[in-house]
Amino acid sequence: MIRQSRVLAGALVLVIPAFAFAKPIAFADGTTAMLEYGAGTMTEAQIFYAPEYNYSVGGGHVEFDSAITSETVRITYARLNYLVERWNMESAQANLYVWGGAGGATGNAFAGTQAVVNAGGQADYETRRVYASLKTDLQRASAFSVRVDTLQLGIAPYEHEYNRIATWFVVQARQYTGGIQHGVESALLLRFFKGGTWIEAGVTNGGKLQAMAMYNF
Amino acid sequence: MKSYKVLLVAMLSLSPVAIRAATIEMHVNGLVCAFCAQGIEKKLRKFPATADVVVSLEQRLVAVALKDGQDIPDAELRKALTNAGYTVATIERNDTPIAAIRSRVGQVKP
Repeated sequence: MIRQSRVLAGALVLVIPAFAFAKPIAFADGTTAMLEYGAGTMTEAQIFYAPEYNYSVGGGHVEFDSAITSETVRITYARLNYLVERWNMESAQANLYVWGGAGGATGNAFAGTQAVVNAGGQADYETRRVYASLKTDLQRASAFSVRVDTLQLGIAPYEHEYNRIATWFVVQARQYTGGIQHGVESALLLRFFKGGTWIEAGVTNGGKLQAMAMYNF
Repeated sequence: MKSYKVLLVAMLSLSPVAIRAATIEMHVNGLVCAFCAQGIEKKLRKFPATADVVVSLEQRLVAVALKDGQDIPDAELRKALTNAGYTVATIERNDTPIAAIRSRVGQVKP
């Protein structure tokens, strides 16, 4: 029964539209590098190159440290991101992405290296003042299954211009499955970006640091 | 009298060059995030005909200054903006200096 639920959850991840923050595809012939520190529970680094505007290839490394047990999992993966749909409105943009990949995992709760399947999706809607996003990301192996769902809502105190610094106040809610953490973790974040550089940092409801840096080139 | 006619013909033949479009102004949909719009400059500056590029989120405008006597076909412009992640609504050619456009949108040259 549990296994069936997990399979169903995995299938849903592939089809449910989700909203996200950092886009996995920058632009054609563009590269995105990202580093995130998730309150000591999740630390992730990614790099993706987009040959075309609607897909990117790359990989990442993510480490989960359970807040419930002493279990840790380290996953290195290769991934393909695909832009399913983009809506360019007069003063807004919305995107829907899905991705899939595979890799290997090590951890202190199982022996050796396990094969991992990665799947997820994200979408976003933004204007120059308002931002909403949700992302879901599943890492699944025979010894574990972890899904991370992240919701972000942002508001900008002013409408930034192309060559000037942008400022966003962001509220984040995140939920882990797979015994990584109980309940929903919330965070207040302050985000800045200018040119191709993006930095955000804040604090969770548990008083821990949540931070991310990203670079497009 | 004949020399005046020759001069007139010569001037008329030169006039198309004198009024040739110096700038392309494109209105673009979806242009809301500067971080995501970096690809616009990257793409447009790769054209040999491009002398300069101005992007304004406020006016949803992308302007390309052309090198003397050169142009970029509309299809190439639309493809470049699509590859950057956006949709071109209109394309207009005029002789407005790029400095004037930059001033109009409240930007200074980096």
